[in-house]
Amino acid sequence: MLRYLIRRVLGVPFLLLGVASVAFILSQSTKGDPLSALVPERMMNNPEIVQAVEAQWGLDKPLPVRYVVYMKNLVQGDMGTSFNTRRPVARDIAERLPATLELVVAAMIVGTTLGMAIGLLSARFRHSIFDNAARGFALLGSSLPIFWSGLIMLYIFSVQLKWTPGTGRLDARTQAPEGVTGFYTVDALLAGNGGLFIEALSHLALPALVLGWSVIGIVARLVRSSLLDALGQDYVRTARAKGASDRVVLINHALRNALIPVLTVLGFTFAYLITGAVLTEAIFSWPGIGSYAVSAARSLDYPAIGGVTIVGATAFLLANLVTDIAYAWANPRIKVSG
Amino acid sequence: MNTTSSFKTTARRRGTALLFGTTSALMFGSAVAAQDTLVVGRSMDVNSLDPSRAFCDTCQIYLTAVYEPLITLGADNKTLEPKLAASWEHNENFTEFTFNLNPEAVFSDGSPVEASDVVWTFERLRNLKGSPSFLMDGTQSIEAVDAHTVKVTVDAPNSEFLNKVSAPYTGILNTEAAMAGGALADETAATADGAEGWFLENSVGSGPFVLVNYAPEDELRLSRNDSYYGTAPAFAEVVITQMQDSVIQAQALETGSVDIAMQIDADTAKSLDTPDVVTEIIPSFNFVYFAFMPGSTAMKDKLTPQVREALTYAVDYDGMIEFTVGGNGNKIAAPIPNGFPGTQNLEPRAQDVEKAKSMLAEAGMDSGLEMVAVYPNDNVYGVDLNVMMQKLQQDFAQVGVEVTLKPVTYPVWREEMAAGTADLTAVYYAPDYYGSGQYAAYFGMTEGSTWVSRAGYQSPETVLNEKEGEIYAQALAASGEEAAAKYEELGRELMADNVIIPLVSPNLVLAHRADIDGVRYSACCNLPLAEISRK
Amino acid sequence: MSAVETLRPASPSRARRAWTFVRRLPLTGQIGILILLFWAVTLLTVQFWPLVDPLMMAGRRLQPPSADHWLGTDALGRDVLSRTLHGSTYTIPVALMVVVSAVVIGSALGAAAGYLGGWTDAVIMRAADVTLSFPPILLAMTVAATLGPGLPNAGLAMVIVWWPIYARLMRAQVLEVRTREHVEAAIAGGAGRGRVLVVHILPLCWTPTLINATMDFGQVALLAASLSFIGLGAVPPSPEWGSMISEGAAKFYSWWIAFGPGMAILSVVLATAFLGDGLRDVLDRRGPK
Repeated sequence: MLRYLIRRVLGVPFLLLGVASVAFILSQSTKGDPLSALVPERMMNNPEIVQAVEAQWGLDKPLPVRYVVYMKNLVQGDMGTSFNTRRPVARDIAERLPATLELVVAAMIVGTTLGMAIGLLSARFRHSIFDNAARGFALLGSSLPIFWSGLIMLYIFSVQLKWTPGTGRLDARTQAPEGVTGFYTVDALLAGNGGLFIEALSHLALPALVLGWSVIGIVARLVRSSLLDALGQDYVRTARAKGASDRVVLINHALRNALIPVLTVLGFTFAYLITGAVLTEAIFSWPGIGSYAVSAARSLDYPAIGGVTIVGATAFLLANLVTDIAYAWANPRIKVSG
Repeated sequence: MNTTSSFKTTARRRGTALLFGTTSALMFGSAVAAQDTLVVGRSMDVNSLDPSRAFCDTCQIYLTAVYEPLITLGADNKTLEPKLAASWEHNENFTEFTFNLNPEAVFSDGSPVEASDVVWTFERLRNLKGSPSFLMDGTQSIEAVDAHTVKVTVDAPNSEFLNKVSAPYTGILNTEAAMAGGALADETAATADGAEGWFLENSVGSGPFVLVNYAPEDELRLSRNDSYYGTAPAFAEVVITQMQDSVIQAQALETGSVDIAMQIDADTAKSLDTPDVVTEIIPSFNFVYFAFMPGSTAMKDKLTPQVREALTYAVDYDGMIEFTVGGNGNKIAAPIPNGFPGTQNLEPRAQDVEKAKSMLAEAGMDSGLEMVAVYPNDNVYGVDLNVMMQKLQQDFAQVGVEVTLKPVTYPVWREEMAAGTADLTAVYYAPDYYGSGQYAAYFGMTEGSTWVSRAGYQSPETVLNEKEGEIYAQALAASGEEAAAKYEELGRELMADNVIIPLVSPNLVLAHRADIDGVRYSACCNLPLAEISRK
Repeated sequence: MSAVETLRPASPSRARRAWTFVRRLPLTGQIGILILLFWAVTLLTVQFWPLVDPLMMAGRRLQPPSADHWLGTDALGRDVLSRTLHGSTYTIPVALMVVVSAVVIGSALGAAAGYLGGWTDAVIMRAADVTLSFPPILLAMTVAATLGPGLPNAGLAMVIVWWPIYARLMRAQVLEVRTREHVEAAIAGGAGRGRVLVVHILPLCWTPTLINATMDFGQVALLAASLSFIGLGAVPPSPEWGSMISEGAAKFYSWWIAFGPGMAILSVVLATAFLGDGLRDVLDRRGPK
């Protein structure tokens, strides 16, 4: 197992190199001449201006040279300057990443908690009305386009019921808390500002619910099926034969074993959530890297496209690595392949 | 730094109230009177916060709040009024302009606004060769006569120059502060100026507000300029907060999390029936249009003037307004906004399908004409260009012309415009100042104009109309009624070109909370924030 | 006509086998099959249905559902019901093409990697690893932005995102089946490598792929819709469900515009999820029973 872990960890830098190269190639082969994003239309016929812009943005060098320069800069944390925001991409991302992570973590908590609860109860009361209704609810979350369900939820909970505030991370009038973690909820608590914490939390609640809903189904299904699986195992049957009640068997014997597969799905869930986050952010005016990626893709801002792809992939890779390690640790008998 | 700490206490106070009383979102913000904040929800399109590089609607709002031009446009959207210049004169043939600065005026750091600042700002605007540099086209010399007098000489009569210096992009910069930030004004500015990033964090104007924080596509936060020499604005703080679409803006207005939204489309505005929100629907100076590209590779010898004219009869202009903005818009004749000089007597086009068919038959184009329409995949001024082009596609289909739609992102659109691959396009235009001349320069089929190179591509002769250049020069040499008459003549020529076909001048939905006062739409400056107060 | 023919059984015994198979599926799986059958029939025959033209104005714009327009009209006065039903001819074939291409490409590469091992294995699987390192939507967005908008390009982008999943799946299966006795017997018997792979290994490997592909089908349809929402998918005036939903989202208060396509996409995603679950119950003997 140790060898497996070492191999996985050592593989990460190579994967990152691959990721960065693919991101570079993709962003450089984008349809569209970057000059049309950088030079005012009236100046396109002015060779002096065009040359100056090319030199300023490093577009005058051949592709291989640009690749080397890009990689060199990347190692130093420099991802170039965004065409859109005219600021370093690394800075844009650093400012926006915590917003996305806060949303994704909150959604993950929502998704796994509700998913496990539903899975557990579904297994306990399998084939009951509850089982079917709960699975239906969970499935609905992953079957509705999030950019539509998000708007509906916003309309119901914010406009009609007024349970939650509108879009954004905080009320526009409120100044963000002093940044320690970049998670407004956590920062507000660290600053001892209970009111701000509640405000941040109430803004976070709805997008996190909408996003978390999309993964409840995955988690619930897995918990349910692995619980049912575990219930069929010898040791559970033995426990039952000795007269243990359904509830005791479920909690004491089956659940512990059933939780291991849930670990495996967390990395996968993360991928789902990042995908959903891109759309959720667009609906909820959430200033994260998802909405940044959308506007970068729409305006062919390729330093930003490259940067956000690399950061997204890195986060994803690390999440998968942690899951794999956790899984290997929880289940040492795992047959390792790949 | 003061401001930061006071915001935090406000936040805490409000938060505590929330903790003990209510969970309603409506309560946010209502309790604060001493440090009131105005919130505007917008889809921000900021390309730069450097006045000489910026070119966008949100930029107009920001620059108007933070910088001041020499002259500004009055509330009637016609009359020029003093701003930094207390008064001005020009010679008879509009080639020399003298501005007398208000001696009271100071920048936000307290230093006086002087003639040298004006000279430096105008030279930088000209030499930077950015998008708004055209405002300084034709300036021969810009000189400081004394500390409070500036004289500008232009190379040809230009009765619109005064209007041009009312554009927010001509706002005067504090030279010393800007230079410390890396700004240059000399001939090397276009290549050597490195202040663009600096301007995203600093403002160096004499306007009623100063920049506090800008987070791209998130928020633009301004606070009251404490050393402002004029009337202090009612709000201590203004936040423009990012809200991508119309529905979100409407919902935010309804819940009270924003005070003003002006990008709500007319259909969505109908759903805003709460007494807390006031919705004004007013004519705007923006318009959307489609354009023929007779010089495109595929359209050579096909899109003749006759065929173009025929096709303009195929368009259902009334239906277009119904479909794009639910009837909340106006027809527009020439590509000059309704209400600008010379537009009064122009008659908008009307549909005549039979005439279109017979003219096409005459030209031998009654069947088999296929065109590719390339246009930005945008939703602007309440008009979804996709909807508009689908309607056009249907209208053209009625006369046997097949249009393929190709919506693209804006940069790709610009590239396609330069490549001669589009036969048809659609886009939008909003004024940079009050005056019809900018339309002549942009839409006129004269050598080197933007639209000659787009529509004519490699065969400009397909669209050239040099008469328009002459009329434009005559209009610039005249003023008042005489100039308006020339612009009308120009408008008729632009219509006869049948290249730029304006479709809709959408009404602006200016929606705000009922307790907000002083909201108005300005032709130069979009939304003058300093005039807004809470009742 | 051809649809009817393909539905007609080729031989009674095969029909009976199919019927027995369907009977063994849980109720939800049977519902899934029904829904998918409905859409299959619709997409093949919709042009003969008595519907108004989905691309042309059919009445006043933004009309709520009525007897004339059962699902109302959109911003251009087009009939939403007609557009929704015609939409099946865009969304479903694209999702199908994406899944089939991803399965074919992914499985072929995965099988090659698993069976040949060595460098082939290393190169293919590292490529898969790198591809899988990207969050799917980011990669799809970037590819779609690179190629330009349009449903075909969006489809290609999604194939690029999806193939590695099937490559991994197939490789794992091949690795496992390869060591079984009958395969080793065949190799010992002197069968060629290609023959062993095709005849003795692959037939035993397709079950997980089939289950996964069924379930992915709905997810592909969803991602296609998302790309359309961002503006990188279908091009107007095509009534692709995703772009219809984004049109509906823009005119949110005319809720019926998004309702039709929303329900359509929901039905497809649910149907494939039901069917996938059902298939797993029946086919995957190692699964929970």
